[in-house]
Amino acid sequence: MSQAMPVESTMRVGAASPEKSPEVAPQRRQGQSVPVGVVNAVKAVVGVVGVLALWELAVLLLRLPEYLMVGPLSAVQEFFARPEYFMENAFITVQEALAGFALGTALGVLCGAVLYYIPAMRHFLYPTLIAIDTIPKVALAPLFIVWFGFGFESKAFVAMAIAFFPLVINTFDGLSSVPNELKELARINRAGRWMQMTKIEFIYALPSIFSGAKISISLAVGGAVVGEFIAGSSGLGYVILLANSQVDLPSMFAAFMVLAAISLIFFFLISVLAQRLLPWRNYSK
Amino acid sequence: MQDQPVISVQDVGMTYRSRDGLENQVLQGCNFDVASGEFVSIVGQSGSGKTTLLKIISGLVKNTAGEVQVRGRDVNEALHDIAMVFQSPVLLPWRNNLDNVMLPMEFRKRATRQSREYGLELLDLVGLGDKAKKYSYELSGGMQQRVAICRALVSHPEILLMDEPFGALDAMTRDSMNIELQRIWQETKRSVLFVTHSIPEAVWLGDRVVVVGDRPGRIIADIKVDLPRLRTKEHRYSDDFARYVAQVESLIGVSGAIS
Ligand SMILES: Nc1ncnc2c1ncn2[C@@H]1O[C@H](COP(=O)(O)OP(=O)(O)OP(=O)(O)O)[C@@H](O)[C@H]1O
Ligand SMILES: [Mg+2]
Repeated sequence: MSQAMPVESTMRVGAASPEKSPEVAPQRRQGQSVPVGVVNAVKAVVGVVGVLALWELAVLLLRLPEYLMVGPLSAVQEFFARPEYFMENAFITVQEALAGFALGTALGVLCGAVLYYIPAMRHFLYPTLIAIDTIPKVALAPLFIVWFGFGFESKAFVAMAIAFFPLVINTFDGLSSVPNELKELARINRAGRWMQMTKIEFIYALPSIFSGAKISISLAVGGAVVGEFIAGSSGLGYVILLANSQVDLPSMFAAFMVLAAISLIFFFLISVLAQRLLPWRNYSK
Repeated sequence: MQDQPVISVQDVGMTYRSRDGLENQVLQGCNFDVASGEFVSIVGQSGSGKTTLLKIISGLVKNTAGEVQVRGRDVNEALHDIAMVFQSPVLLPWRNNLDNVMLPMEFRKRATRQSREYGLELLDLVGLGDKAKKYSYELSGGMQQRVAICRALVSHPEILLMDEPFGALDAMTRDSMNIELQRIWQETKRSVLFVTHSIPEAVWLGDRVVVVGDRPGRIIADIKVDLPRLRTKEHRYSDDFARYVAQVESLIGVSGAIS
């Protein structure tokens, strides 16, 4: 063979595709995933603790007055001084954020799918959607209050409006990333539309949808807080505003920490869910 | 019946029209037949329209001129008899290998226990019987392409269209895949249309080598390869083999220009 085609065979070797090395991948996964996870977690904790310590130290050394800046310790103290106050308000914010997130996700996936499957909709609506997306969603909050009043709904809708867009885009992108060959395979075998969607396209889009959800969940928490800023009588946004009016920085920072914890926990839950449901996603191109 | 070709390509032409109205004639006046159980290789420069030709025969793309018949029927009625193997295996990462092989049967709503057993048989045939429950990321590129070949064969197609199926493999894997494919072809008795960039591969595998010329793509030669079956590795070093390769090379006008 090499006699017959010297040019070709060297080319072939050079062009040998850098395909995922199949023997190595699963081994690495089993052998190292736990230690790597632990090491990463430890690194993250060290990082967080380090930053908090620096922060505490800076506040101490610079002798900042309590109405300008407080350290993490006094925020933590404040939290444990009245944990039920923070937890109750956190619970309200969480409910608003989750409702908004769930609604935003459902609508976002639906909308992304419609844009993908109905070209006419794509041509008419995609530019419009992008234009709407450029409006800062928090600017819409007053409008939602006009529509839905001062209660739970208006905050959930602000959260929804913010959570919606990443899912539209990621659903659309995920569906668009289905390899052409798979669509052709479906067509050659006369697969129906529904068959093709459920057996290939939606599953293919799931990793992308999950990345969208990871972005959306913290956006939804932020949206709920903004709603509470504008028309709240409860929730962490309200806690922050109240603390602001009383120049109560420890409360404010305690609320920040609870908010960060909420977003982190949700982010983590979605990541775990993605890992459980889609263990294959690291191996698809 | 035996004399009737399985595939008959008559005066097929293809002109793509872009959105701005520009016409791009890709194929013109293509004529050739494929007999039952025949292995026909197709070679030609990049962009000469080989993939387009396969897509027309598979019914994925409608030709703008001429006619393609499968067992005397128009392609669009004969889709069930045709299967395709692509350059990359495109297996679904969330399905194990057997389930990947079964996908066409699920598409056709004919995934029965018998068809599943046949899927397993096919995996056995390509030496992957023990890998049925494994996932594609646990396989090498060559193994993945073998699974893709099983996926194409599972619906008992009369015709197997292969578009550079080994193009992404390294030279050594490619050689063993050629031997493998010849064996599969012998055992399953399909008609195969095999597009490749490697002239030695085309000659070694093919009963015939169809050479597609460039701009617009047309058939400039249809060479019968009179080498004995089953062919072995040693045939690659025979004088006859070298002559065929040289003949095809001169027809395409290569000086390493194919890639
Ligand atoms: N869907 C399409 N629309 C418009 N033009 C196309 C389309 N598909 C292919 N072409 C054009 O047709 C020509 C032939 O393409 P084709 O893919 O059939 O070539 P090929 O012989 O398979 O090339 P290669 O060896 O690189 O795979 C090219 O010039 C390409 O630009
Ligand atoms: Mg091609």
